[in-house]
Amino acid sequence: MNGIATELIRIVVGLVAVAAFVGLNGLVLVYAERKGAGHFQRRPGPFEVGPHGVIQPIADALKLIGKQLFTPENADPFLFWLAPLLSFFPVLLLFVPLPFGPVLTVWEVDLGLLLILAFAGINVLALLLAGWASNNKYGLLGAGRAVAQSVAYEIPLLLTVLAIAFQSGTLNLSTIVSQQGSWPWQWNIVTQPLAFIIYLISALGETNRAPFDLPEAESELTAGFHTEYSGMGFGMFFLAEYANMIVVSGVCTALFLGGWKGPFVDGFWWYLVKVYALLGAMIWFRWTYPRVRFDQLLNINWKWLLPLATLNLLGTAFLMKVF
Amino acid sequence: MEVLAKVAFAVYALIILGGAVLAVGSSSLVRALVGLIVTLFGVAGMYLLLNTPFMAFMQLLIYVGAVCVLVFFAVMLTRAHGEGEEAAPAPVKQYLYALLAGLTPAAILSWIILKHPLASKTVPLEVPIVELGKGLLEQYFLAFELISVVLLVAMSGAVLLAWERREKK
Repeated sequence: MNGIATELIRIVVGLVAVAAFVGLNGLVLVYAERKGAGHFQRRPGPFEVGPHGVIQPIADALKLIGKQLFTPENADPFLFWLAPLLSFFPVLLLFVPLPFGPVLTVWEVDLGLLLILAFAGINVLALLLAGWASNNKYGLLGAGRAVAQSVAYEIPLLLTVLAIAFQSGTLNLSTIVSQQGSWPWQWNIVTQPLAFIIYLISALGETNRAPFDLPEAESELTAGFHTEYSGMGFGMFFLAEYANMIVVSGVCTALFLGGWKGPFVDGFWWYLVKVYALLGAMIWFRWTYPRVRFDQLLNINWKWLLPLATLNLLGTAFLMKVF
Repeated sequence: MEVLAKVAFAVYALIILGGAVLAVGSSSLVRALVGLIVTLFGVAGMYLLLNTPFMAFMQLLIYVGAVCVLVFFAVMLTRAHGEGEEAAPAPVKQYLYALLAGLTPAAILSWIILKHPLASKTVPLEVPIVELGKGLLEQYFLAFELISVVLLVAMSGAVLLAWERREKK
């Protein structure tokens, strides 16, 4: 019984820590994104609240929390409010197997990668529910796009992850990290450069980030699936999107960039540095590339990413067999 | 431990039953789908109880993440808001028949189980996925390949259907 109690305490403490981490990161990333967007467009970004606008995200969060929650007419209230909850809470589970450091993992799961992939699928369902339950044509269109996009981009993502799993012979993220060395040329990115690029593009597609943010394309669909959500309803989707970005960056770091290992001194700081570098790159992409058209989006996936990922997987399997 | 396992079993069984009732009882197709998803989660929990996390995660990945999403997509295309004439309440007689049809197998099964109660088994050993993969490609190779043939047929059938419709236009 004692063993179960300690395990349970570890998981509860871990989940609370993850929730705090996600919330804090939401604030940091909102600031980074707005500031980044500002400077990319040659304006200062938020500047009024606090020095250089650093307290702006807190003001934003307070505003979101204070707003009235509003259910549109003829919407299904049960499904309408289920969607944001379903979008946010499963994301916390995705952090469980992430190896932040040598011992800094909430719970080391042997099938960690599979756990992340399994629970990441729930987010699509939440977007669909949100779009459908809003009883709004923009919402419905956004939901339709979300499903076509996520179902498509999940396949190359899975195939690249599989290539790494082939190479390492495990689905345990901690083991995959420990098989890589401290220096950049000992990381998996050297043996799997194509998989890294495909993973990065598919990850942008999976997290609905620009240039692939068609489910919420504001110039065409108002705000897509979350058009009708006010206050923290919208806030939940927003937090979930940022949390998903951290998860895909975290998985990418563990799979391709050596996880918590780095030159000179290994530790969780290397993990955080790499994750934030990837997040920075995602923000950079968003404000650099224009949004693609929907047919282009699907063509990139089905005609390029999917065949390339399949070839990469076959090549990996072949080389594994030969050597 | 045995009590804990029984409690977990009861919780998962309740989740499955609750989801099933929601799936059958709601007039809105999408709410029914949510019920189905709840049931699938309960089944995944049962797999975890059997110490087969691989099956549990696969259940979520394939059924919740893919099958339910596609079902949802199909529902969305039909604009089913649960307002048609089939959404009107059925006559009481029909409910009674349905209840009878549902309770009969449950009653027979529970009678047998109560008559010949099974002793609790120890927690089964978790089969590592390496072993699972070897089993699929060595011992159960034929079954594994046959399943992939079924999927291939289904996929080519879908492509064929889509192809015909495009030619007509």
